[in-house]
Amino acid sequence: MHGRSHSQSGMRRPGPVRLLGLAALSILLAQGAAAQETLKLGISAPMSGAAATWGLGMEWAAEQAAERINAEGGLSAGGETYMLDIVAYDNKYSATEGARAAQTMLSRDGVKFVVGAIGTAPVRAMQALTERQGVILFNTAWGKSVKGPDFPYTFTQMNTPFEILEPFYTFVKEQHPDVKTAVLISPNDATGQELEPLAIETWKSLGVEMLASDWYERGTTEFQPIATKIASLDPDVVDFSAAPPGDVGAILKELDVLGWDGVKVMSAGTSVDALTAVAGEAAEDAYLGASADFDGPTATEVQRELNAGAREAIGEPLNGITISSYDAVMALQAAIKAADSVDPAKVKDALPTVRFESSYGPSGFGGEALYGYPQQMLLPVIVTQVKDGKPVELTRTNPAELEALLNK
Amino acid sequence: MEVFVQLLANTLQIGSVYVLFALGLTLIFGVMKIVNFAHGAFFTAAALVVTSVMPFATATLGLSLPASYLLAAIAAFAVVLCIGAVVFSFGFQYVLKDLNGSFILSIGLLLVLNGIYLAIYGGAPRSVPQVLPDTINIFGARLTEQRLALVIIAIVVTGGLYLLIERTRLGLALRAVAQDQEAAMLQGMPYRRVALSGFLIGAALAACAGVLMAPINAVTTVSGDEFLIKAFIIIIIGGLGSVAGAIVGGLFIGMVESVGGYFFDPSTATLAMFILVIAFLLVRPQGILGNAD
Repeated sequence: MHGRSHSQSGMRRPGPVRLLGLAALSILLAQGAAAQETLKLGISAPMSGAAATWGLGMEWAAEQAAERINAEGGLSAGGETYMLDIVAYDNKYSATEGARAAQTMLSRDGVKFVVGAIGTAPVRAMQALTERQGVILFNTAWGKSVKGPDFPYTFTQMNTPFEILEPFYTFVKEQHPDVKTAVLISPNDATGQELEPLAIETWKSLGVEMLASDWYERGTTEFQPIATKIASLDPDVVDFSAAPPGDVGAILKELDVLGWDGVKVMSAGTSVDALTAVAGEAAEDAYLGASADFDGPTATEVQRELNAGAREAIGEPLNGITISSYDAVMALQAAIKAADSVDPAKVKDALPTVRFESSYGPSGFGGEALYGYPQQMLLPVIVTQVKDGKPVELTRTNPAELEALLNK
Repeated sequence: MEVFVQLLANTLQIGSVYVLFALGLTLIFGVMKIVNFAHGAFFTAAALVVTSVMPFATATLGLSLPASYLLAAIAAFAVVLCIGAVVFSFGFQYVLKDLNGSFILSIGLLLVLNGIYLAIYGGAPRSVPQVLPDTINIFGARLTEQRLALVIIAIVVTGGLYLLIERTRLGLALRAVAQDQEAAMLQGMPYRRVALSGFLIGAALAACAGVLMAPINAVTTVSGDEFLIKAFIIIIIGGLGSVAGAIVGGLFIGMVESVGGYFFDPSTATLAMFILVIAFLLVRPQGILGNAD
């Protein structure tokens, strides 16, 4: 009987009270929706191929930062609350795919903030769009060419050779004062090409003669020829420049077979796990310039938590590249708060002056003297060495600007 | 002198893997007249299976290193042959002698398989211990026993393939369809069945290369793709569809890489390979041992 009555009443036109009620409900729902906007944060990184581990790790670290901020109620700006959502694209470490990823991310997804982009070539391709369209681009590109006053929307989220090489090489030279000769092996791409002259110059300033500077293509499968050449030159140091850990591991393995046993230096050394997975014992005592022991005593609580989570979720610990997206999201959060807006133009103006809590501790942006614009995230330079297959932190140097920021 | 012996050893080490890989690719082209861009995925599958089964066999089953490697190799061949049979039955048998169709199909298949491998294994490089890790010195050239074993096995497998093609009924059928498929069918040869056999032998050769390389190089979900471009260079230089051409081309490219990488650098050696391919396509498009038609 009741059901029938309900059905019958449902057939009647709604009265004014019901209409008012529906209108009130609609307004409430609309306000609720407006109060919880979604802010998409993009990532353009290799998700396949030899460097896939970097992209997957970077995506995971950015998601952790977004989840933390969302769990705290989201990001408030201009009277709105934004929940963060990470959208990641595979740039395959190439300019072509970088451009394609940028087109999709900016045009289809309407991304206004990119919190992680890996590789100088894909970043350059992406930058052509982000600068023109006023999109903030955080990236890990090592090339100096992506920075400067002409690129005010671009920010670097990790140390690059221009921050790393001098303290890194100086430390290695102090540990091995007798080294006199070196060989440099670089991947033949934009990153390697921008790093090579700086590496040669820095070694020279330390009194180390460069016997040879050779190039190889990413994707090379056989490294015996280059190992044979290195072994025949018998340098005191082999510097693997911007080569990824997998390639370095393969060369170290061949050098071990050929009996070479000198000082191994990896400026772009990020992942000891990836290095030892390939080289095994041949990786022992290698120095890494972009790695860190996120389980060790000098790691922050946040880094330990993230590292443990990454091992669990993606089977890989984090490194200097992958953890950087967490720091980028934190920097962005601080800048959006300071600007009280999600307008990239206002956020861009706020970023150079904000102070935020990175995974390493307090941080900000600097590098104006070197790049002409304060767009380099200030982070400690950490030198690690492979000991018993594990990274061991040997020294940690704060850039002068970071030191000044910490002492304020 | 020692340097030249080392370069010769490097040539054989590099060339032997290239030969195995390129043999499968050229055999498939010869029999089916298709270009299989997914050939590297067979190599990758085999290598990945070895990196899964070997640790399991040693840690859980308690097998010795050689026994676990053998078990892993058997599993790798089984997996690759299953993948080969599935992709042939549901895809390649419909694009036989269709270059455009096979191009689209194999590129799509490659993307699908790479995605599956990445989802299962993740992006980190994987490795297994070498079964024969000791280093030996042959006339001044230093190489690991594992590499030497690879060269010997590659020679044996290549010899076995030669005998199979020259001395068996299946080999006769493969040669017949490669030379003139319609004439072979008129003689009563089941073309699709012969094509399947050729396809599976090609896949097994890629699997063999993957199994042999797994303990030597780190394995990623795209390991095989990195060999694919070299294999195309090899079969263009050696002659499309020519088994002997794949052997000559493989060793030739191994030599270019070894000598060029030593006297110049690996990038220059890679560039030289592409210049050689252009030169061959202009001057002798059928390759060293290919047929003019």
